[in-house]
Amino acid sequence: MRLTSILSEPLPWAPESLKVSINSTHQCLHLQWSVHNLAYHQELKMVFQIEISRIKTSNVIWVENYSTTVKGNQVLHWSWESKLPLECAKHFIRMRSAVDDATTPEQRFWSNWSSWEEVDVQNSLGHEPLFVFPKDKLVEEGSNVTICYVSRSQQNNISCYLEGVRMQGQQLDPNVSMFNLYDVAFIRETGTNIYCKVDRGDDIKGIVLFVSKILEEPKDFSCETRDFQTLSCTWDPGRDTGLLKQLPQSYTLFESFSGKKILCKHKSWCNWQVAPESQEMYNFTLTAENYLRKRSVHILFNLAHRVHPMAPFNVLFNDVSVTNATITWKVHSTGNYYTLLCQVELYGEGKVIQKHNVSVKVNGELVLSGLQPDTEYSAQVRCANANHFWKWSEWTRQNFTTVEAAPSEAPDIWRNVKSVQGYCVVTLFWKPLTRLQANGEILFYNIVVKDLDRPSGLQLLSVPAPANRTELTLDQRSYQIHVTANNSVGTSPASVLVVSGDPGDEEVEEERVKGTEGGFSLSWKPQLGNITGYVVEWCDRPRDPPCDLQWKHLGPNTTSTVISSDAFRPGVRYNFRIYGISTEMVPHLLEKKTGYSQELAPSDNPRVVMSNLTSHSFTLSWKDYSTESQPSFIRGYHVYLKSKAGQCHPGSEKAVLSDDSVCCKYKIDDPKQKTFVVGNLQPESFYEFLVTPYSAVGEGPHGAFTKVTTPDEYSPMLIRIILPMIFCILLIMILCYLKSQWMKEKCYPDIPDPYKSSVLSLIKSKENPRLTIMNIKDCVPDTIEVVNKHEGTGKSPTEPEAAKPTYLYLLPAEESYSGPGPCICFENFTYNQAASDSASCGHVPVPTKAPSQLGLLTSSENLLTALEKNCMNSLEEIPAGESSLNYVSQVASPMSGEKSSLPTNPPQPELCSEYKMQMAIPLGLAAPSSSGSSSLSSITLLDEGEHYH
Amino acid sequence: MQAQLLWRTLPSLVLGLLFLSMPAMGSCSDKYPELLGQLQKQADFMQHTNTLLDLYIRSQGLDKNGLKEHCRERPGAFPSKDALQRLSRRVFLRTLDTTLGHVLLRLAALEQDIPKAQDLEMLSVVKLNIRGFKNNIHCMAQLLPGSSETTEPTPTSPGASPSPTPTLDTFQRRLEGCRFLHGYHRFMRSVGQVFREWGKSLSRSRRHSPHQGLLKGARRMQLSGRNKRLMPRVQLAPGSHRGAPGG
Repeated sequence: MRLTSILSEPLPWAPESLKVSINSTHQCLHLQWSVHNLAYHQELKMVFQIEISRIKTSNVIWVENYSTTVKGNQVLHWSWESKLPLECAKHFIRMRSAVDDATTPEQRFWSNWSSWEEVDVQNSLGHEPLFVFPKDKLVEEGSNVTICYVSRSQQNNISCYLEGVRMQGQQLDPNVSMFNLYDVAFIRETGTNIYCKVDRGDDIKGIVLFVSKILEEPKDFSCETRDFQTLSCTWDPGRDTGLLKQLPQSYTLFESFSGKKILCKHKSWCNWQVAPESQEMYNFTLTAENYLRKRSVHILFNLAHRVHPMAPFNVLFNDVSVTNATITWKVHSTGNYYTLLCQVELYGEGKVIQKHNVSVKVNGELVLSGLQPDTEYSAQVRCANANHFWKWSEWTRQNFTTVEAAPSEAPDIWRNVKSVQGYCVVTLFWKPLTRLQANGEILFYNIVVKDLDRPSGLQLLSVPAPANRTELTLDQRSYQIHVTANNSVGTSPASVLVVSGDPGDEEVEEERVKGTEGGFSLSWKPQLGNITGYVVEWCDRPRDPPCDLQWKHLGPNTTSTVISSDAFRPGVRYNFRIYGISTEMVPHLLEKKTGYSQELAPSDNPRVVMSNLTSHSFTLSWKDYSTESQPSFIRGYHVYLKSKAGQCHPGSEKAVLSDDSVCCKYKIDDPKQKTFVVGNLQPESFYEFLVTPYSAVGEGPHGAFTKVTTPDEYSPMLIRIILPMIFCILLIMILCYLKSQWMKEKCYPDIPDPYKSSVLSLIKSKENPRLTIMNIKDCVPDTIEVVNKHEGTGKSPTEPEAAKPTYLYLLPAEESYSGPGPCICFENFTYNQAASDSASCGHVPVPTKAPSQLGLLTSSENLLTALEKNCMNSLEEIPAGESSLNYVSQVASPMSGEKSSLPTNPPQPELCSEYKMQMAIPLGLAAPSSSGSSSLSSITLLDEGEHYH
Repeated sequence: MQAQLLWRTLPSLVLGLLFLSMPAMGSCSDKYPELLGQLQKQADFMQHTNTLLDLYIRSQGLDKNGLKEHCRERPGAFPSKDALQRLSRRVFLRTLDTTLGHVLLRLAALEQDIPKAQDLEMLSVVKLNIRGFKNNIHCMAQLLPGSSETTEPTPTSPGASPSPTPTLDTFQRRLEGCRFLHGYHRFMRSVGQVFREWGKSLSRSRRHSPHQGLLKGARRMQLSGRNKRLMPRVQLAPGSHRGAPGG
């Protein structure tokens, strides 16, 4: 009965006056209502069931029970955030209530639903054709966002884009589509552009979605004090959210014990005023917050444990002596309750050499000892809380310099002794003292030279610093030399060395040592007797004088050492001398060593001189090649010989050069052998040779080969024969020249005069008066028979008849003759034999007309032609005895002489113009009698050497 | 990127110094050709979109296909080239000065949407340039004949209002800003062309009469503007030319 009555009547506490409002910015529905019939003073725990539908009431999208304690007349509120922008769809809300009180469990019955409240924002949008929602929404990256558009026209085809990329949506109703964006990313600080366009139109509407990076939790949050008045809190805010304008973030500091809270002005630090009352514990909460997120970190600490002292001040040095100094400093007051631990560091030459810890209340003091004289030091001090270490203060630094002392070590000395004109020239070297040894600035060096033979003979030299050598000229006696270094405070111990008149360095043989990158490892035989030590001497720059003499003192028990120097270079030969120092401080040369820190292949080839070149050998020599100045120990030489034959003789081997050419290689194993005879060569052959040194690390460069060609085998012999022959011939010729008269008389006597002939006397003796010598003047020749003989067997085609004698009638009775005059040739039997070899008869016809003849004879060629045509005979053709008329005659010819001296004037008609075997030839007969053969003989006739004058 | 920025910034700074040279000296140049040449060069420089618009488009993410096509000048936002050419020289200068004043206000509003300090620095350089340009306009106005006569009212461009309606959402504001800057560059290009025409008329006048060139050129432009001052496209305030100098 009771239940029935309850159900039939409306519940007294049903919700009423339900109002719904919207917040577009936050996409929220805001509900407010009151409870019916609740008394003013009554307080009741109730539950309200709220239903939200979208688009239509039946499409319920959200049901939530909201429990709260309700007081009389109270207006209740509840909000709901929609994922879909509220503008995109209608929403309907209703609710009912029930009492949720444990004391009255029987009252748990739901009231009736309130009526649906409709929320339709689209009606208030306006009349624009297109809308996109939500506007300017702020989300964190990684969020899911729903976008929608509302179109006023169903005909419009609308496309939506996210940063230019088209999105695929879901249609809610004919005018509304929604787009779900998942896991949105931060693109830029100005937000992400999302826009929709009507495909055929100019309308564009869009939104900017502000995507923020997630606010990070502050890191490394800590607080400390330096003066017990202010707490300085710092933290690392992490990365920016990227939306500082749209999404500002704030940092607040909350201290729970005091309940105080401050808003920090800076994003990474904040100052907190320490309370005047002595609060020891602090519990801070740092909260970073923006619209979307809140992050907090906490720290709890005791103030005394977070003390970061300020840097010490007034750091001073007192009582600075040669080896000690007192440092004092002050610290800032941190109250009387705290003791500070201060750390003092002493620096020398840039390194920490001492470190001290000192407990300090207010003033600190520390004695620094074990210092070096005249040395600059630096000391620095810092402090921290001695009881609860938190942080060191900053360093405070100060410099000081200790005072000078006398040099503590004797200078390291050595000498170089030379004998010059009966004197010892001693160059004395010393090394500058180190800072630790000098104890101050060295001002000068004192050198005392003591004559050991005359104890009273002392000499004192003072050499100002920074000199490191001096030269002494001593006689051949022994001297003891003391060297001391002096600064402003005092003198160093003395170094002593004895220089004797006789160095005795000559009898030691040199050994080779092999160097490494680390230096030269030297060892020597221990010396018997009183040896106070050894000295190794060498030059750092042996090639460049002065050679930069170096030395190293070694103890008496040392028999080996490693000599290293930055000056050592590969390919340079270093010479080491090892001396033993006697108790009398006299050095004696013990051993000599030589070697390279690193041997290099020879860089140069010797300059080779070639000599003794024969057809089978030649000699090479390179005597001026110095093996001492080479970059490695020269072990010998290679002689390369290239030849066309390419065959190598015994003693050589084939070698292939870098350019793939093949040659013969002769090896010379003795570096002192600097000549080589290349033998077994072929005459008149081309060879190339190269001499290159070799060492343990290789041989010299294969540079240019020298070319040589062997002479032929007989040339020398021929030279030996021909030269004497030429000499002999010349000698004979000279003799002939000198005895030419005699020769002439013997070989070419004068023509005998018939009137002086013995024959004549013989005739006379026989007294035969008819017998006499016919004078040619007395003869009147009437005819001359001319016999024409042609050489060879063939006939000239131009000569129709065979040669037959021609008779020249000399008497004027002959009428047929009409020429200008006869030409008569006489044959001299005396000359017949001699002339028969070459001479022939030439004839220049007497010209009929001078001008025409001039034209013919203007050139030597024409002249020759003329001569050829008129040459009729030769002695061979007219043998002695065959002709009835033979005369001996010598007629001077105006045409005699060389062809080149032909006159330019037309020749004058001359009879018998040339001395030849001459005949009187009528001009008209001259032409028919010429022939090719006679022409040839004419040319021979005119040969220069055969003319007679 | 840094180098690009430097190349963009350096000329702007130089130009800015050029703009400010005269105010810094405290007086205007009395050399008309020189001043005209400067104004022309400055207008030519300011017309380039890489001085402002490109920066804005990039910073706002408007450089996307389908979006940048909507970054076009709204008609009427700035006076057209024809309208500027029809104005008398005095009115032209006043219009220019007023419009650039609006541009400065609008740039101040746009500044709120530019978060990067680097871009803000560029924007402040642009504002500096505009202020210098306005100063040169002032100097040019003083050189025009009859400068002491009654001041003409300045025609205003309705589109070049200080800022768009504040109720606009960020996206719409962004697009409007882009359109505005597009119009600004176009406007400066037109201004440069007008100044170029001034220069041409000056050289023509010099050829004919070196002493009278300036005055004649000015008068010709004024007559031209007077004849067409009522053209509706210019949307000038009535009576804006009553103070035109007679020259």
